[in-house]
Amino acid sequence: MSTESQTENVRQNERSSSWLSNVSYRTALLYIALYGTAILFLVPYAYMVSTSLKTRSGALSTSFHWIPHPISLHWYAHMLIGGNVPHWVLNSLVISVGTTVLVLVVDSLIAFALTRIEWPGRRYVFGLIVASFMVPGFVNIIPLYTLITKFGLVNSDLAVILPFAAGPLGVFLLVQFFRDIPREMQEAARLDGFSTFRIYTRLVLPLSKSALSALGLFIFVWSWNQFLWPLIVFQDEGSYTLPIGLVTFQSTHAFNPAVNMTGAVITSVPLFVLFLLLQDRLVDAVAMQAGTK
Amino acid sequence: MATTTGQSSSNSWLATRSLRQRRLVTGLLFSLPYLALFAVFLFWPLIKGIYMSLYNWNAIYPSQSTFIGLQNYAHMLGEPTFWSALFSTFYFVVLTVPSMVVVSLLLALGVNREVRGATFLRTVFFSPYVLTVAVSALIWTQLLGSTYGLVNVFLESVGIANPPAWLQSYAFAMPWISVTTVWWTVGFSFVVLLAARQNVPDRLYEAAKLDGAGSWRTMVDITLPQMRNALFFVVILNLIWSFQMFGQSYIMTSGGPGNSTTTLVMYLYRQAFHQHNFGYAAAVGFTLTFVLIVVSGINYYFLGSGESI
Repeated sequence: MSTESQTENVRQNERSSSWLSNVSYRTALLYIALYGTAILFLVPYAYMVSTSLKTRSGALSTSFHWIPHPISLHWYAHMLIGGNVPHWVLNSLVISVGTTVLVLVVDSLIAFALTRIEWPGRRYVFGLIVASFMVPGFVNIIPLYTLITKFGLVNSDLAVILPFAAGPLGVFLLVQFFRDIPREMQEAARLDGFSTFRIYTRLVLPLSKSALSALGLFIFVWSWNQFLWPLIVFQDEGSYTLPIGLVTFQSTHAFNPAVNMTGAVITSVPLFVLFLLLQDRLVDAVAMQAGTK
Repeated sequence: MATTTGQSSSNSWLATRSLRQRRLVTGLLFSLPYLALFAVFLFWPLIKGIYMSLYNWNAIYPSQSTFIGLQNYAHMLGEPTFWSALFSTFYFVVLTVPSMVVVSLLLALGVNREVRGATFLRTVFFSPYVLTVAVSALIWTQLLGSTYGLVNVFLESVGIANPPAWLQSYAFAMPWISVTTVWWTVGFSFVVLLAARQNVPDRLYEAAKLDGAGSWRTMVDITLPQMRNALFFVVILNLIWSFQMFGQSYIMTSGGPGNSTTTLVMYLYRQAFHQHNFGYAAAVGFTLTFVLIVVSGINYYFLGSGESI
């Protein structure tokens, strides 16, 4: 009897320990898979930074070294002092800041009108804006190009800022957000003698700070990274943005990996800094689009 | 008696009418800045594009364009490069969209477990999304270089002699463009799916545990159905993006070797801005838009639920 219960105990112990080891085995696999993938994700960054610090011959050497020897800042100096790169940085900044500000202002104004003012026809206007999600960017580039030429805006920052600000995304997201602001607050403000415009500036905008900053950040990143349209309307080397400049640079320096990767670092550092500081906001902006936030 | 009621009702009718009018004016004033941009830079080009696609458009002297009806479309259907671009586009979509959905789902479900360093992992997987296509494509072009590229250096170091020049190869160029794209943009889908997974109520899992459901059953019966809307969103967005792929091919392969990585948007770009066939390129654009709408419709039919997202 006692031996039987003992063997029973042993069996149970064995079973639970094999179950335990099974769990820890699975956890270990999970960690290996996740951190292994993370390392693979980081390899391209490490390659970019490491190559940018190499000399030309160092980057073309057949034996690869993660830590360059000698470490050289030559290409950074070469690109940032004189030449077109500073112009490109400035153009990218002007376009991204300009687009972000314009989008936030015009989109919040119309989103306010669509959710907080009851005027006939607003449903049709909103319907039209939502329907324009169906229009993919590329289908408009040819007529837009003829329009931009007619306005004399080729090579101008406005050629990129204005068409971008016509997109429906910001309106759509802000309408979702403004809709949920309780109506009683607006009525109370009205009783206090607030004009419609003051309700917009003093009530709705401050209450929507989180949505506005998330949207703003998303628009900033997106406009900084635009490629196809700026490639078409910027035809003069001085008017390029960083991404466009980087690619034309590559075609003239095809056999100099170090200088290309230096350009890549310069193009991505501003966004990485912004990303690391405001990551949660950007995640919110993405989740907002899926309606999971 | 009768007159007073008549008067008061007509007064209130006047009052509501003027209130309605005032609201209409205020509403329109607030909407005007956006609507002006929308009309000039989105709506008008769309109409103009349909019009241009029916013309043999003269890019330099537009007034000398001639109306040719549907000939641009007919010409397109008889053009082998158009069909090859359409095929390359579908090939890229088929390679990319399923990988994107599977990778982002696995990463999201993995990070959602109580792992150490979840925030760090989220940062790493999401971060390439803030890069421009120019940077992502350039890094990968160099990683895949035939002699000095890191991938081949690695393969040679583990004893594989003479690995191919990946981006000059008919077989490998498009799959590597697809890998680059997954690395670059999977963060977006990952974040969407992670948020969706975190929104699934814990009580559903507690109930499943009480019923003795295993982890696979829980996944199929609870997790995936609960994430259905987010999955639909991720699939449709990746479809739309992948059908519009341009920058990766432009930078990594210039559409080559041959025309094997020339997508429809790239074909349109070349026709418009290298050959100056504006009318023809506009027709290609509308055809691709039509393909997009059909594909989204099919996707909606199979995956979309009654609820909207």
